[in-house]
Order: sequence, then C-alpha cells, then structure tokens
Amino acid sequence: MILLLVIGLLIWRGASRGSVLALWVVGLVLMVGLFKYHVTSHLDLSF
Amino acid sequence: MAEIVVNETVVGEDASSARSGVWGTLAFWGLHGWVVAYCFVMLSAFFIQFVEGEFPCPLCMLQRYGMILSTLGALYVIMQARRGTLTTAGYAQGLGMGLIASIAGSSVSVRQILLHIKPGDSGYGAPVLGLHLYTWAFITFVIVMLYVGLMLMLMPRGIPVAPPVGAAARGLSTAIIWVFLGVIAANVIAIIFLEGFAGVLPDDPEGYNLIDQLTGR
Repeated sequence: MILLLVIGLLIWRGASRGSVLALWVVGLVLMVGLFKYHVTSHLDLSF
Repeated sequence: MAEIVVNETVVGEDASSARSGVWGTLAFWGLHGWVVAYCFVMLSAFFIQFVEGEFPCPLCMLQRYGMILSTLGALYVIMQARRGTLTTAGYAQGLGMGLIASIAGSSVSVRQILLHIKPGDSGYGAPVLGLHLYTWAFITFVIVMLYVGLMLMLMPRGIPVAPPVGAAARGLSTAIIWVFLGVIAANVIAIIFLEGFAGVLPDDPEGYNLIDQLTGR
C-alpha cells in the first residue's frame, strides 16, 4: 500500500513515464502475489 | 526524411483537433468521476470498518489495492493533461493501467463471490443495499472496464483537455486529486494498524493487530 502512495505522489510530482509505469507494474505483481498467498483453499464447485 | 516529417505533421494536426471541443472536456471530467467514485467507495468501506466495526479480510484489502491501482491510471492521465504533456500514447497507457488493474481486482472479487456462493452461506460481512461489498466491488470493476472501452472508442476525439491555469475548475481538479492521495494515505495507516508486525492480514481479522501487539493483549 505504501508503494501505491509513492506511485500516486510520483505521478503528482510529474516523475518520468518509465519510473511510474515500472513501479505500477511492480505494484500489480505484488498484488497478484498477495492474492496467490491468501488463496489457500480449493473451491469445491462445479458449473 | 521528408515523408516522416509529413506524417508527424498529420499526427500533430489530428491530435490538436482532438484536443478541442466538448469531448476533451468530458473525458477530463469523466476521469475525475472515476477518481471520485472510487474515493467514495473506499471512504464508505472506511465507514463500515471504523463505525460499524467490520474488519476487512485480506481479499477485501486486495480489492482496495485493485481500486487504487486502477485509479492511478486515471490520475496518470489527469496529471499529464493538466501539464499539457498528454499524448495519445500517454492516454492509452493510463487507460491500460486502469483496465489491467480492474481485471486483477475483479478476479479477487470473483474469488470472494465464489467462496460464498453456496446456498446457506451468509457471506462475509453485512450486505449493503442487498449486495455484499465484494459483489459491489466486482460491479465497480466492470463499470471501469466499460468506461475504458468507451473512451478507447472515442479516440482520438476524446483526449482529455484540462481547464486553463487559474480557472476555478482546476482548483476542483486539484482538490479531487488530494482527496484521492489522502484516501491512499489513510489506507496505508489502516493496513499498518491491521497487520501489525505480522506483515500480512489474518484470514478473519477481529481487531487491530498493531494495538494488540503493542499493548501485549
């Protein structure tokens, strides 16, 4: 979450596109990683 | 070489004509609507958390991440439009950020919906207007996806145009941006209190870990 605040402030300050996009991708990867970490149970569903 | 210059001129004229008119203004304020809507959603989540005493689970927090990551795409475009440096590529990058984050966030929402989809399961937390918060989150992510699709269809006519420096509307834009940054900061503080020194949220949080750890409870 701190990273998201840093990205927001960087966008506000007008940081370079490369740094904003790179940090945003890192934030997305961390989010997906946290999702994978917290998803531990198998859903017993069938459609 | 001359051909390249001609092509650049054509692109430049296309872009400058796209920056005039009502579409650019609508697109600029549409992005602010995106920011305001997610600020409202996250402030409502804070109301439920602090006033009604319902603590967010890890999947709830991940959906907030998705909302913030998505809204950073809108902020990215707004700030470039305000500086007058927004290009078609920059606009597409911002919309892409919003779209990808919405897909990621909606995946978390779908997971949580499926966790509680079986008959007899009362779901996590109290419903709001008949739907649980994760279902509302999924709806908001779908709305963002539709919005991004619509804005891409309007390209290049709908490239956002900011009001001139000194205009009252620009002050409103600044206020909305600061509210959004404040909402992110509030989430940072909330997650620190919720996680404590553990670094991750428990599956079913029942209090603020940091306070419990500091007071030895």
